[in-house]
Amino acid sequence: MSSKKKSYLWLSILSIVVFVLVWYLACDVLKLTKPSTLPGPVTVVKTFIAKLTSTAPDGATLFQHIGSSLQIAMSGWAMGVVIGTPLGIAMAWYKKIDLYARPLFDLIRPVPGLAWIPLMILLFGIGLTSKIVTVFLSAFVPCVLNSYTGIRQTKDVHLWVGQTFGASDFQMLMKIAVPTSLPLVMTGVRVALGASWTCIVAAEMLASTKGLGYMIQQARGIYRPDIIICGMITIGIIGALFSWLLTLVERKVIKGVKR
Amino acid sequence: MTGRNLKGISKYKKIYAAVISIFVFLCIWQLAVMFTDVGIVMVGPIEVIKLFFVSMVKPIGHDTIQMHIVWSLSRVMTGFVIGSALGVVLGILMGWFRPMNALFRPIYEIIRPIPPIAWIPLSIVWFGIGEPSKYFIIFLAAFSAITMNAFAGVRAVDPELIGAARMLGANNRQVFTTIVLPSCVPHIFAGLQIAIGSSWATVVAAEMVRASQGVGWVIIRGQDSNSTVQIMVGIVAVGIVGFALAVLMRWIEAKLCAWNVRGR
Repeated sequence: MSSKKKSYLWLSILSIVVFVLVWYLACDVLKLTKPSTLPGPVTVVKTFIAKLTSTAPDGATLFQHIGSSLQIAMSGWAMGVVIGTPLGIAMAWYKKIDLYARPLFDLIRPVPGLAWIPLMILLFGIGLTSKIVTVFLSAFVPCVLNSYTGIRQTKDVHLWVGQTFGASDFQMLMKIAVPTSLPLVMTGVRVALGASWTCIVAAEMLASTKGLGYMIQQARGIYRPDIIICGMITIGIIGALFSWLLTLVERKVIKGVKR
Repeated sequence: MTGRNLKGISKYKKIYAAVISIFVFLCIWQLAVMFTDVGIVMVGPIEVIKLFFVSMVKPIGHDTIQMHIVWSLSRVMTGFVIGSALGVVLGILMGWFRPMNALFRPIYEIIRPIPPIAWIPLSIVWFGIGEPSKYFIIFLAAFSAITMNAFAGVRAVDPELIGAARMLGANNRQVFTTIVLPSCVPHIFAGLQIAIGSSWATVVAAEMVRASQGVGWVIIRGQDSNSTVQIMVGIVAVGIVGFALAVLMRWIEAKLCAWNVRGR
């Protein structure tokens, strides 16, 4: 590491330290803010540790909330990927499907996933199903879009080579078009996971009895910003973890892409 | 683009297929509502379209549907303009000056993975239930998307261009204004495109959590009063405006950077 790079690293560390220090001084030492609007970092860390085992004040520990959110986000996301990706591929490959399915898809595309929450609650109740369906809708759209674009990037020359060697239509799809589309398919899968995670937080804020979104929404009602901040940090960490994991998978699965 | 796209099919046939598929879909929906158990909780498209037009003259709550849309748009625009202005500046600074990057990147990376929606409760605690809390959330939504793209845009500048300019005697400031700024414009527009979409989704969420007007409020009021048709009207409004915003951004991009319209 060159000395210049090293000094930048120190600058980065310094910036975080100063940030936390200012927060600490303003809130915990000088008491510039009320604890009911912005608690200091010490309070937040204490709450975080307490919340790992305590169920007060919202009826579940942090891990139970995380588990509940993860379960719904994952099931909705998996459904979105399993249904959305093949549909996108089929739409891009078969003209007939494109002609008839595309307009319907374009109809639901501009509606953000979380706008469906109230409708799904009315249709399926406030249980798991309504949330899974909402998460599914918000994961489904990026999967279709990206796999569609991915297939469309297949080079004509590659298809001609396939035809020359007598590949059938289905063989050309599986051997040429699908591998070409994989990087974009994976992008879609990653975007979908982010969207699912956002959507589940929103759904839990509106109607739920458990989950991270429910936790921060309840904490707002009783003026406990320390719990809100804990929840937000947890949501952020899990979101970052997701995208890191999927990038790892992407690197393993997809070969021959320059990064 | 592959040879298998819709190039060979006339525009006329495409529109024809679209009309048929949407019409069939609406028919199935209407029939399902009329003749099966779905009708107990769901309303048909005819009713939805009817209420949509009725609500243009007869208000839902205090405002007509256009006024709700205007309310939501005004929130989005305020947050979006501030967020994108700051985001472009910060992103370019971070991309061009390494010390700036070292200074702001860590804090930005801590905030970035938190979805803007998760800020709703905290912003209500900080700014109350009025307009400022919504501006703040939308500001965050726009800001994080645009900063990232502006940053990537500066980093993606062709180093050969910079080298050539320097060789011809351009100073740092000239390199920055004549090469770096113009070449990151397409990236910034990609960021603006993402930001307007996520801002719109975020305003709907914010209004569903706490508001007394706006399209998100129309949807959540529909749920509170068990009125599926009002929810659907809200969803239709959200969809139309979301679509219009995306088209508008693409049009502005095509006008402003005609030299670099990505093939979409």
